[in-house]
Amino acid sequence: MIECHGLQWGAGRHPLTPPLDLQLAAGSLTAVVGSNGSGKSSLLKVLAGLDRPLAGRVDVRVPRMGGVAYLPQQQHLDRQFPIRVVELVSAGFWRSRLGRDERRAWLHQTLADWGLLDPQTQGLHALSGGELQRALLARLSLTDAQVLLLDEPEAALDDVGLGLLWQHIERWQREGRTLVLVSHNLVGLTHHHCDGLLIARSGCIKAPIRQFMAERQRLGQVA
Amino acid sequence: MTPDLLWAPFGEFAFMRRALFGGVALACSAGPLGVFLILRRMSLMGDAIAHGILPGAALAFWLFGVSLPALTAGGLVAGLGMAGAAAWVTRRTGLREDASLAALYPISLAGGVLLLGLAGRKLDLLHLLFGSALAVDTATLYGMLGTSVFSLVVLALSYRALALDSLDPLFLRSISRFGPLAHAAFLTLVVLNLVIGFQAIGALMVVGLMMLPAAAARFWSRRLLVLLPLAALVGAVCVWLGLVLSFYASLPSGPCIVLLAGVFYLFSLVAGPVNGLLRSTPFPINV
Repeated sequence: MIECHGLQWGAGRHPLTPPLDLQLAAGSLTAVVGSNGSGKSSLLKVLAGLDRPLAGRVDVRVPRMGGVAYLPQQQHLDRQFPIRVVELVSAGFWRSRLGRDERRAWLHQTLADWGLLDPQTQGLHALSGGELQRALLARLSLTDAQVLLLDEPEAALDDVGLGLLWQHIERWQREGRTLVLVSHNLVGLTHHHCDGLLIARSGCIKAPIRQFMAERQRLGQVA
Repeated sequence: MTPDLLWAPFGEFAFMRRALFGGVALACSAGPLGVFLILRRMSLMGDAIAHGILPGAALAFWLFGVSLPALTAGGLVAGLGMAGAAAWVTRRTGLREDASLAALYPISLAGGVLLLGLAGRKLDLLHLLFGSALAVDTATLYGMLGTSVFSLVVLALSYRALALDSLDPLFLRSISRFGPLAHAAFLTLVVLNLVIGFQAIGALMVVGLMMLPAAAARFWSRRLLVLLPLAALVGAVCVWLGLVLSFYASLPSGPCIVLLAGVFYLFSLVAGPVNGLLRSTPFPINV
């Protein structure tokens, strides 16, 4: 559950939008859409507590600390970093209370789910962009975070990968987790049951994603 | 015969033994710290901090003379103060951390040189920067052993946080508050190792002991859990062989150790299996 009150954010001193009031219920899926530079990723970082808002406040109500997990855009990662895929993925067990055997079984299952059993012993340098994205998503699915903030989760994924992603998103929703994702794929989003949050200088609009699709021409700048 | 030659100086002279044990201990902690400095893209940070500890050490020398606790405390305060100030400037203004550090350390260094001049007594600046491994007394030896053990324990405890914070700080900061803590603990260890090291082998030479084995190890493995002990091992062997070389050739010990590490780095650069020059294939397209 996330609540924003009079939230304003931006890289400089000038906020990117008028104050935003927002309520995202547990189990909801919200796609943040808007043109380049509108402040989608910045909003996600503010929600994740990584950046301070310029004004207003964010209340993230999760059972305990560590309840928020953030999927960064993969270009932030150093591909020469000397760890293997399986080590990257198992970082999702941070703060996990599971026993060793349970972890091992779940890790194996997760790697299998994301099609990562073969490249699991490879270094990050040997992965394709899509495989790295799968590894980052697999890491996310090992966390027990109740709020998942995904910055362009569809990036570099092939059709099979996209299928896996949406399968997991639907499962996370059923588990009652709150999901916010940044996406440019408005057409793809309309196939799923989610709300859209349009970020624009004139103001933010929250509505079912299909409504944005209907008014796409008028909005112009989306997707 | 050869094993005898390699051990003889240490069997015969207590000061050589102290230099060996202290140097090996320091190499064991400095090498892994160097690996993390490289992974965090802070390779030149050690060099900047090594210069920056000078005013603290100079002030301590002015007030207390040659006293290990005073020099250590002075160096620590100056080094941590400078690293902390650089990080603060970065956070408040967005100036890159290496730039703010590069701006601060000449100020710190110049202040230190001025303090030494004001003190009027002769603490050899060259000694401070390049040190003398053969001047390791018992107190310094215990300081080096203690620093090494402490550093390795803290590194082991914060390993997961430090590794994840180096690779993906945003993810770590979203799920945990350990990121900034691990970063601060890591910087403290770097300063502590430099400060203890500067008294034994000199501020600038200890940077060599920190960075060269770490940079060389990078050409031999792509696994962090291999790189860390490998850097420590390479550093320790260089300390040993460097001391032997300096003993028989009557050369200063600090540069001998660092130059040996440099030779191993060059060898790794050429022959290392991970992206070494001999392993890389030439670009197949001529334009």
